[in-house]
Amino acid sequence: MVSAAVERLTKLAQSEDRFAISHADLRDAQAEAMNERFQDRKDRIKLLGHRAKEGSISEIRSREDIVPLLFPHSVYKSYPESFLTEQKWDRLGKWLGTISPHPIAAIETSDIDDIDEWIARLEAKGHYVSASSGTTGKSAMLIASAADMDWTRGDTVGVFSWGSGVQPAQDRRMFGVGATAYVPKNRITAEAQAAAFGDPEFEPFRLPVPPITVGELTKMVVLRKAMAEGTARPEEIAALETTSKEREETLEKAYVIAAESLVDARADKLFIGGQWNALYTVAKLVREIGYSAKDFHPDNCIYVGGGLKRAQLPDDYQQFVHHTFNIPPNRNFQNYSMQELNSGMPRCQKGGRYHVPPWVVPMILNKDGDELVLHTEGELEGRAGFFDLALDGRWGGVITGDKVSLDLGPCACGNAGPTIRDDIARFADLEGDDKIGCAGTVDAYVRGLS
Amino acid sequence: MSQTDSELKSEDTASEDVIRVDHFIRGKVVEGGAVHYRSRDLGVEFATPEIDLDQLVTPRSELPPLLDVKIDEIIDFLVACGERLVLEDNKYLQQALELIVATNPLPRRVVENLFRRAQHFLTTEGLRCSIDTNFANPAALDRWVERVDMNGNHGALRAFPPRMIHMLAGNSPTGCISSIAQGALVKAINVFKMPSSDPFTCVAMLRTMAEVDPDHPVVQSMSAVYWRGGDERIERTLYRPQYFDKIVAWGGGDAINNVIKYLGPGLQLVSFDPKTSISMIGPEGFESDDVIEEIAETAASDVAIFNQEACLASRFIFVEGERDGIEKFCEQLQERLGIDRDTSSEFAHPLPVETREEIEMLQLMDDDYKMWGTTDGRGLVILTEDPVDFHPSNKTANVVHVDSLDDAIRFVNVATQTIGMYPPDRKKMMRDRLASAGAQRVVRLGGAAKHVMGGPHDAMFPLQRFVHWMSDEDA
Repeated sequence: MVSAAVERLTKLAQSEDRFAISHADLRDAQAEAMNERFQDRKDRIKLLGHRAKEGSISEIRSREDIVPLLFPHSVYKSYPESFLTEQKWDRLGKWLGTISPHPIAAIETSDIDDIDEWIARLEAKGHYVSASSGTTGKSAMLIASAADMDWTRGDTVGVFSWGSGVQPAQDRRMFGVGATAYVPKNRITAEAQAAAFGDPEFEPFRLPVPPITVGELTKMVVLRKAMAEGTARPEEIAALETTSKEREETLEKAYVIAAESLVDARADKLFIGGQWNALYTVAKLVREIGYSAKDFHPDNCIYVGGGLKRAQLPDDYQQFVHHTFNIPPNRNFQNYSMQELNSGMPRCQKGGRYHVPPWVVPMILNKDGDELVLHTEGELEGRAGFFDLALDGRWGGVITGDKVSLDLGPCACGNAGPTIRDDIARFADLEGDDKIGCAGTVDAYVRGLS
Repeated sequence: MSQTDSELKSEDTASEDVIRVDHFIRGKVVEGGAVHYRSRDLGVEFATPEIDLDQLVTPRSELPPLLDVKIDEIIDFLVACGERLVLEDNKYLQQALELIVATNPLPRRVVENLFRRAQHFLTTEGLRCSIDTNFANPAALDRWVERVDMNGNHGALRAFPPRMIHMLAGNSPTGCISSIAQGALVKAINVFKMPSSDPFTCVAMLRTMAEVDPDHPVVQSMSAVYWRGGDERIERTLYRPQYFDKIVAWGGGDAINNVIKYLGPGLQLVSFDPKTSISMIGPEGFESDDVIEEIAETAASDVAIFNQEACLASRFIFVEGERDGIEKFCEQLQERLGIDRDTSSEFAHPLPVETREEIEMLQLMDDDYKMWGTTDGRGLVILTEDPVDFHPSNKTANVVHVDSLDDAIRFVNVATQTIGMYPPDRKKMMRDRLASAGAQRVVRLGGAAKHVMGGPHDAMFPLQRFVHWMSDEDA
């Protein structure tokens, strides 16, 4: 399979000037590359083939053509929940087969006890399944290939380095203070960062909590379903409540250990990673112990993963974290990405905008996400769609739930490539939640698990 | 076109972007325009007046306006108002209709039909009947009734008027008529909180009533306003036992969670919970072509009600019997879901994206399933062995083939409202087990929207829960 355009664009990952190429210069190559991907995948990704057939699409000539073939997040959770709750691993594997371009290798499933085991066996065959944390609903399952994991290794380092100005010089002590889900994507990201930025003399600090596996996450989902159906026994519910309380206590203790370890390492140059709520919690503890910016190394940096995820933090949480760990202003790193993509969009220091790399095709769609809005120059607001040409193990076309402003013109930082303004909002948050009616499901009868 | 018509038209065009929503406060209309909102379902912008909270609360030092008005007189007044609910002659309903079609997913014709049926909610027989089934001694609504216990102790009892907030449901525009009637029958002081998908009908009803008699105590006991559900400034202030006794709410999720926060001693919630309805058809249904034809029609009418936006609309049809007959039934059911009816239209809105994806996946998985129709909103029937994961909507029926209807009972739960059954004598055999599982109503297949007058709703008799049972005792 000749994929000249894909190769040309993805190779730019090695280039220092990758964000300097203008939309006008990228447009044709990107359309060509999307078509290469489409031609190669349409008979291999069952769902894509189905959509292409329904829409009578045989070729991608421009961004317009790809719109009906962008997958929303919900595609990755379209499996019946009973496959999980009733442990129908073969069926779940078959479902994965409808969204994977690579045939799902046969694995032994008769002796599988839980989803973690299933995921581990798939991984041994080269399928990397990262599930999202759906504590109240279904988990999305994103399948990726070994090639995608390699890409992640390079991309995460490149994105951070470009956005923060931190060179991968293996000269920092690594502190992971977030409780992240133990899934391939997160694991490999952490490994790659440690290898690039971490001082090999020090063991990277990981938050001392048991791994949050997909199995742990889905236990909640399974019990929730049983509660809705009325088959969950009170003792089962009580046991899970106890477990989650214990987990919370462990987490609280772990944050204290993280804070103390950071204080001990304050003279060293640090790389601190985590989600905002974890970073904020630890920063607060550090302050309580009596330390702040003046005590820490002046060239520290932080890597923030994930959004706020409904965490309630004070308005100045970012400042508070920066001030605690003495993060210089030019090290303020922000990145726009999502689980469905495999590439990040780092924010520049000068223009304060997220830069879209040449191998990611950005699109502004109408609110419903079914039409491309004509956009040839300047800034335009709407629903974001992307095509990540670097993705190998699943389809790169993604329609998001995000409302963004995309500028096709040059950024104040001097780079000519497309950028996204730093005011991304979720459509779901913009719309109200005061719907009221007599029709509804048993979901409303399940009191949340704390 | 007359001059007034064109004026009205130009005004409509001018205000196309922002719809004006008026409030009704104890007999007076307050014109909207000050506070802007966006409707939940269709994202339309509208503007209400500023709410004066003091106007919504009647101090407890004032006796309720309806206290000394007899039930018979209230019923007469409601019926007189009902007679004015003729769409062709009632300008308030006409205006409301124009506005609802912009904010509500129901098709215009269905809303028209609902308005045409509106007056049937307000008949002497119907209103009397709900009083009689709700109260052992309806006289307690009108006066203090004497009672004596077995030890000879004397006392008196009065169903005293409550102060109530009604959180109206958004899925059926005429649902507010029942709420207005209920509020009037228990002589309450009422505040109706309108939904964003229809902040019009309730005010139109109340204006119609005010036209009959602006000073009538029923009119003086009613206010209808919109605020965004969950608005803390309003709800934290208003939801207090000093101001109200009962909050009557429809729905679940955020709508109810917002209210629950404010409950406490003295302030109670009477909730009409969100519900799912189903059907059950025994093997007798699939034995002959004539019967298949008949049950396909009755089942379709149960599924399609309000284009399946209502709680009593069936979504899962559990069937026991011979496969060939069942497949014939599915085929005919799909055809009949596409028929224009009084309370449903040929086309509902297309299915939501997430549901379409799950259905698409079902197709790609080559499972034991069969499908009739598509996701275009014109009617879709999916035949499976187990119920599908998603919530069938927009005229979608999931026909679930079970070995025995007894196996279907495990899919009945506390959210199950109406179960339509064929043949009807199955009801008797199964109703105890269905009630134990949580269901609240069994009907004949095709009878989901038909009612025996004065029946319970949500497994309770609401009126007797609304009133403040005041006791005078001489023990």
